[in-house]
Amino acid sequence: MATTYASADTDAHDGKPKFWVRWFFSTNHKDIGTLYLILGLIGGLVGGFLSIMMRLELSEPGLQFFGNPHTYNMFITMHGLLMIFFMVMPIIIGGLGNWFVPLMIGAPDMAFPRMNNLSFWLLAVALVCGVISMFLPGGAGGAGFGGSWVMYPPLSTSGHPGPAFDFLIIGILAAGFSSIFGAINFITTIFNMRAPGMTMHKMPLYAWSVLVTSWLLLLSLPVLAAAMIMLFTDRTVGTGFFDPAMGGDPLMFQHLFWFFGHPEVYVMILPAFGIISHVIATFSRKPVFGYLGMAYAMVAIGVVGFVVWAHHMYTVGMDVDVKAYFLAATFVIAVPTGVKVFSWLATMWGGSIRYSIPMQWALATIFLFVIGGVTGVFLASAGLDTAAHDTYFVVAHFHYVLSMGAVFAIFSGFTYWFGKMSGYLYNKWLAGLQFWLFFIGVNLAFMPQHFLGWQGMPRRIPDYFQEYQLLNQISSYGSYMSAIGVIVFIVWVIEAFIVKRKAGDNYWGEGADTLEWTLSSPPPYHQYSKLPQIK
Amino acid sequence: MLSLSVTALAMLGLGFASKPLYDAFCRVTGFGGTTRVAENISTETLERQIKVRFDANVAGDFGWTFKPDDVAMTVKLGQNALAYYTARNDTDTAIVGTASYNVTPIKAAPYFSKIECFCFTEQRLEPGEQVSMPVLFFVDPEMNNDGRLDEVKTITLSYTFHRVENPSADANTTIQRQAQKKKLEAIELKANTPQTIKTKTPITDVVPVTDATGRKDKQDTQGRG
Repeated sequence: MATTYASADTDAHDGKPKFWVRWFFSTNHKDIGTLYLILGLIGGLVGGFLSIMMRLELSEPGLQFFGNPHTYNMFITMHGLLMIFFMVMPIIIGGLGNWFVPLMIGAPDMAFPRMNNLSFWLLAVALVCGVISMFLPGGAGGAGFGGSWVMYPPLSTSGHPGPAFDFLIIGILAAGFSSIFGAINFITTIFNMRAPGMTMHKMPLYAWSVLVTSWLLLLSLPVLAAAMIMLFTDRTVGTGFFDPAMGGDPLMFQHLFWFFGHPEVYVMILPAFGIISHVIATFSRKPVFGYLGMAYAMVAIGVVGFVVWAHHMYTVGMDVDVKAYFLAATFVIAVPTGVKVFSWLATMWGGSIRYSIPMQWALATIFLFVIGGVTGVFLASAGLDTAAHDTYFVVAHFHYVLSMGAVFAIFSGFTYWFGKMSGYLYNKWLAGLQFWLFFIGVNLAFMPQHFLGWQGMPRRIPDYFQEYQLLNQISSYGSYMSAIGVIVFIVWVIEAFIVKRKAGDNYWGEGADTLEWTLSSPPPYHQYSKLPQIK
Repeated sequence: MLSLSVTALAMLGLGFASKPLYDAFCRVTGFGGTTRVAENISTETLERQIKVRFDANVAGDFGWTFKPDDVAMTVKLGQNALAYYTARNDTDTAIVGTASYNVTPIKAAPYFSKIECFCFTEQRLEPGEQVSMPVLFFVDPEMNNDGRLDEVKTITLSYTFHRVENPSADANTTIQRQAQKKKLEAIELKANTPQTIKTKTPITDVVPVTDATGRKDKQDTQGRG
């Protein structure tokens, strides 16, 4: 995206490397951030295509497009994995994190630039492996892996004899190690490379959120890697970690998976919290309300997030006391989350609010995330979850927190920093059109799914009873509308690069007070040759 | 960076260590309905009765028929009881199977103790062979002291036979099973016979199986102390 840098670098290492070296051997945090953003866009487009195909299939009962239901299952599986590992994470951590964590804390670059490069290219390899797996023989006479992103055995072991899932395991392992290296990089950078005077308690909230996220990744992803390796050996060399015939237990996989999987949802949402804290503060022209509370609320969410995993498994046959514990622990998470929501509201209270595009996205994030949070409390209660488990209610819930919470925050951050990254201002009308298409589209798509789920429509089934048709049609039209929103998004990005409206250093004015706004737009290739002093 | 890498490696190790840890955790806590293995027979019997139901499954239909001889029996807490399952190999090749097991309600698992069970070893069935397989168990009288189990009147013991692709050398064969069955019947009879009334019949051969276990005749079961 950012292929031209307007401002001349006064540094001695002025010249940027030539194209091949710059983009393929890149060690510059901003270039790697850009690469991550491009990869996230590709992952999101493929994942989005899969979801549109699913909605086409579900727009009426019966099988229209998918002759083999396995193929439909492969689509939902890959939609989930691509959106999580190759869209949200690369953009919100790899892309915006690489771009803005060093800028915000006053660091010249990441701590380990070459490892940064390794992280990105491992992820690119992972994406290739994942996409290849969609075309290899999987199970049930179809191509690809159709066991959903949770990959439970025995469906993922004896249920998928073909090589598709082996490829996918390699892809997930590569993506996992990419994130582990990235997490080590972020933690080291944030601990050791803050500008003089920037104590931890003065550090911008987005940097805080990436720090907490990195710890979550560092602690949870190795467990996923272990579970993936065990699945792999169960499949290939005949171990029986998850095979009851050999003394193993398939439930153990679910415990391992969700020990990773639950922190993973906070991995996606915490950086989103960080971004919208900045956006809300900027466009209310006030410092964020309760800064320390905001920072430690994220730490609390991260810590408690590690001890609630089995609320994804209420129906596996758990003792009622175990359920009671996981229920209570999960409800506790609503407290720090509430602290954050109320602090955002308090930040806006009495502020001089400007409803510019990033602010619209941020407000929509809060509104829709709270809806998803409330349905989350429903699902956290073991009794209600027994009824709603594996229905569309769950699908609606996690799309409200992720595809609206996290993705809206991504768009909020992207529009907020687009001028800083590219040096150009976007067309407000087009960006606003995208916002409204998205806002109406995703609500049309996912709000009816609450009702479908509560009426008992199960997840992961390409067919349904006639009675569910109307709500499914509304949902499908909503998804087409958000797909048009994606097209408008690409249009406004291209338009901005063609028209080249120059962005100033701090185009949002006095509300934007973090360090990146002291630099030019786009920032010099090497910044902070003289470290900024924080008072 | 070193300490962070060590952290990542430690979590990876912990992921693999979860296998033995999880096994141990299930055995200790009865998590997921994992039953206890008792070293000795129960010596104390209470009046409270529990209905024990028996469930049998074959995973992946590899040509065995596997059924409990009786769907249920009523035992007192602490009573040593012997139940039988029958398995038949309907194929024309010898097959080795192994049974996994658990009980529901899950919270009853810590109190369900097996002294001896066909599920502790692999079982080899010759073509067409039909065998009777015993499980000797008792419901721990301690259960009476656990208020959470006050409403439990029925416990279901479930087995699932899986085919063993690479059997170990010590899979139970017909001869071993017969010896084991006699031994268990002896233990069960002895344990449930009041000390004052010595049984007059030799325990190994004459006592009919149904009598010895009291499975068919509830009065007989209750008569034992």
